[in-house]
Amino acid sequence: MSKERLNIPDYNTLFTEERFVQQRENKKQFEAPCSAQETAEALAYSKSAEYLEKNFDRKAVVINPHKACQPLGAMMAALGFEKTLPFVHGSQGCNSYFRSHLSRHFKEPTPAVSSSMTEDAAVFGGLSNMVDGLENAVALYKPDMVAVCTTCMAEVIGDDLSAFIGTARQKGAIAQDLPVTFANTPSFIGSHTTGYDAMIKNILSQLYERSGLQAAPGTGEESGEKLNVLLGFEGYTGNFAEIRKILNAFDTKYTLLGDHSGNFDSPATGEYEYYYGGTKLDDVPKAANALGSLVLQKYTLKKTQDFIKGTWKQQVSAMSTPLGVKATDKLLEAISELTGLPVPASLIEERGRVIDAYTDSHPYLHGKRVSLVGDPDLLIGLIGFCLEVGMEPVHILCSNGDVEYNDVKFKEEAEALLASSPFGSEATVYVGKDLWHLRSLLINDPVDLVIGSSHVKFAAKDSNTPLIRVGFPIFDRHHMHRNPTIGYQGALNLLTLIVNTVLEQLDNNNSGFNYDLVR
Amino acid sequence: MKALILSEGVDDPMEPIRKEEFDDQACGSQAPKSKPCPRPKPGEAAGGCSFDGAQITLLPIMDAAHLVHGPVACAGNSWESRGSLSSGPTLSQYGFATDLSNNDIIFGGEKKLKDSIDYIAGRFAPPAIFVYATCVTALIGEDMDAVCKEASGRLGIPVVPVNGPGFVGSKNLGNRLAGDALLQYVIGTGEPEQETPLGVNLIGEYNIAGEMWEIEKLMNQAGITLLSRITGDARYKEITWAHRAKANMVVCSRALLGLAKQMESKYGIPYFEGSFYGAKETTYSLRQMAYLLNDREMERRVDRLTEREENRLSHDLRPYRKILKGKKAVLYTGGVKSWSVISALKELGIQVVGVGTNKSSDEDVQRIADRVSDDTEYIPEGGASRIIKTVRERKADIMIAGGRNMYVAMKEQIPFVDINQERHKAYAGYEGLLRLAKELVDSLDNPIWRLASSPAPWDKEDSYDR
Repeated sequence: MSKERLNIPDYNTLFTEERFVQQRENKKQFEAPCSAQETAEALAYSKSAEYLEKNFDRKAVVINPHKACQPLGAMMAALGFEKTLPFVHGSQGCNSYFRSHLSRHFKEPTPAVSSSMTEDAAVFGGLSNMVDGLENAVALYKPDMVAVCTTCMAEVIGDDLSAFIGTARQKGAIAQDLPVTFANTPSFIGSHTTGYDAMIKNILSQLYERSGLQAAPGTGEESGEKLNVLLGFEGYTGNFAEIRKILNAFDTKYTLLGDHSGNFDSPATGEYEYYYGGTKLDDVPKAANALGSLVLQKYTLKKTQDFIKGTWKQQVSAMSTPLGVKATDKLLEAISELTGLPVPASLIEERGRVIDAYTDSHPYLHGKRVSLVGDPDLLIGLIGFCLEVGMEPVHILCSNGDVEYNDVKFKEEAEALLASSPFGSEATVYVGKDLWHLRSLLINDPVDLVIGSSHVKFAAKDSNTPLIRVGFPIFDRHHMHRNPTIGYQGALNLLTLIVNTVLEQLDNNNSGFNYDLVR
Repeated sequence: MKALILSEGVDDPMEPIRKEEFDDQACGSQAPKSKPCPRPKPGEAAGGCSFDGAQITLLPIMDAAHLVHGPVACAGNSWESRGSLSSGPTLSQYGFATDLSNNDIIFGGEKKLKDSIDYIAGRFAPPAIFVYATCVTALIGEDMDAVCKEASGRLGIPVVPVNGPGFVGSKNLGNRLAGDALLQYVIGTGEPEQETPLGVNLIGEYNIAGEMWEIEKLMNQAGITLLSRITGDARYKEITWAHRAKANMVVCSRALLGLAKQMESKYGIPYFEGSFYGAKETTYSLRQMAYLLNDREMERRVDRLTEREENRLSHDLRPYRKILKGKKAVLYTGGVKSWSVISALKELGIQVVGVGTNKSSDEDVQRIADRVSDDTEYIPEGGASRIIKTVRERKADIMIAGGRNMYVAMKEQIPFVDINQERHKAYAGYEGLLRLAKELVDSLDNPIWRLASSPAPWDKEDSYDR
């Protein structure tokens, strides 16, 4: 390539050129006839305290939602098992949305198929789509297991998955011995987290039933399986590596139930395969014999916990995503209790290093007001983290909180956690609210930082609040998901991310005399 | 649910919706026949649905509000995910949803819809609200048309129902249904402030990465007025007077050809299908506009402009052509880009050895055939492995496709240029070709490919000698 490069402006600079600016000015004649003053007034009103109230009175419409739907979670769950093909029963676009969603977050291809139901299926039912779809999908993608989930369409017309899959076997569309698990995941109920739960629970129960094994908790110890570990709807592949590191340090045997990290973090070898990693299908029934199960997203994995307790009769130790030192301490205690093994020295040393890092950074974080947005388990983790480093959570917004978990008390737990520290005294927890509500909150009661997914960037920009990207989905930054957020290493990563954002703000906003070399 | 669609030559008796009465009157015996949107096959990794297609066609109407009538995630999955740029209003970026839940499925969501429309009208004062049906609302039999009509009368702003629920078919079908909503409810309802004798509409151009602005700049330089943008960076009002254009240019034929055909039969506006990818196509398109406007002086101006731009481009491209000459590409992209990008690549000296045809109309396929050599491989359906196989077998140097195939290319260590809706670079027009050339060279040139394709040092037999 010649060193003499032509100057070819991209759209960041190109359209600031005079001729394009002029072109845009000329267009104003087509726009709704509001004067610049009226527009400014309306914008100012939308930022007023009066509007905040009106906004929170809003009952009719959701503006900028912060949740995805059940089958998206079900798809992620299915990809946690070896050579398993997610199969979305319903109209085709949903499948396409989920694949894009996961691909844009993880920057990886997402194999998944749809039964592509159309109007005739709406009238006659989706049986033939299921039969043809399974036959085609198995021929094309050669999976060891198919995991079927439904969309709204299949749910509204009331397709019977179990019967349809049975018919597909009878008709010879798929082999008798090919496991086909399924879950009902309508999008008009719940969210991606409930869908994840439904699919994991069904994969565990259906593979277990198929095997004909009888659960005998504790007997797995001899064959090596002491512990089952479930991470839940986990947007960080790095968290799988971190939990492995921790369990290996304990020197305990374990089975990760639902490990999608392989599928979303595969190497570029020059040859793409459809399936990478995942929990071995044979390991699922054997997991019924483990000593106990460790659940790291207790709200997300509600039904799954009930199944493990009820059918496998296992001790379950459940917590929210272990973010920060205290939550990681609890995690290690839980592993220690379930396995009877002491906390290894290497982790104790690591803990000390993170505490050291906390002390180094605390002057910059103390009293920072933050707003938190995310799924219930993530939020509990984030609140805990903020409180232990002296940050003050102010607005905590959860679109998919108690509204859909009738008997789960996320809000209650969050409020109790906040009440446990003076740093939590300013906080309010909002469940079932959207990002337009958040915008009003950020503008009217400003905070120093907001922590949440990429979707939060619009409200953050409108309110001029720096956004720290944690959670799912993160579309507009690269590789965040590769670094763990759980465990002591995760605590260090979160700390680094947050404190350096604060320091960068200091540099960006300095007035000249405090542009310091040392911080 | 009311469905009004163009789908000619349907042999499949199961084709669920069709409306043939438009066929014959579209443009006489010369009517280009386009095959119906193919029905998606069960068991494959299919593309978007009709809801998606309808929404992305209309979302670039930037000052309108776009309300999804359905479960919240239909909006949650789709809002703000396309690179259609706006030069001003941003209301189109807001993800509005009626958020139907279990109870609404049983008791109906029309009240919720009405309240949502009222809230949006009161709070955001948009010039119009587009309301999108989803699978759920279509299946439970919501009378969206009636709610929209009632609200429209009461509020005094157009509330346009867009009846393209996901299950009626493919994304392309959704594009057509959106075009139909425009024809039925929008076009012809307004008048421009002054008569524009040389006005042209662009149909099926969505201003991805600002491409429309480049096109508009060229048209302005030639003295052609861009009357209505359908729909890249559009304002609602300008679409209402689209029927006053003297000519229509269909930029993406797969999406909105039906709209152009119907505007021809209804308003007598002649149309042509064209592209702005590559200098040749750009020149052809501008000339075609001038020809249809039937203005001698205009034709001369266009000739002068295109000659000047082509000369300049030809000079600027020289360093890139040296590198790109003889390179082979596999192209896997939707609709009109399948053939138009071939022209652009040919001008850069790149040979297209494989091309996707799954989203192309029959005419598109014919245009592909006119532009490639006989041994070019046609890839009729998706599946990453099928595309990769072509790249390998034909020893292609680069893959040009959309976002969902991007990460597969990366796994296979194939240089890649993204040409789909998420891209951030404008490739249309003369300057756009220059930008495409640079992007191709940069992608081929990056040192990671050499690093990726060479084994680790301990796997090389004589690693220490190198």
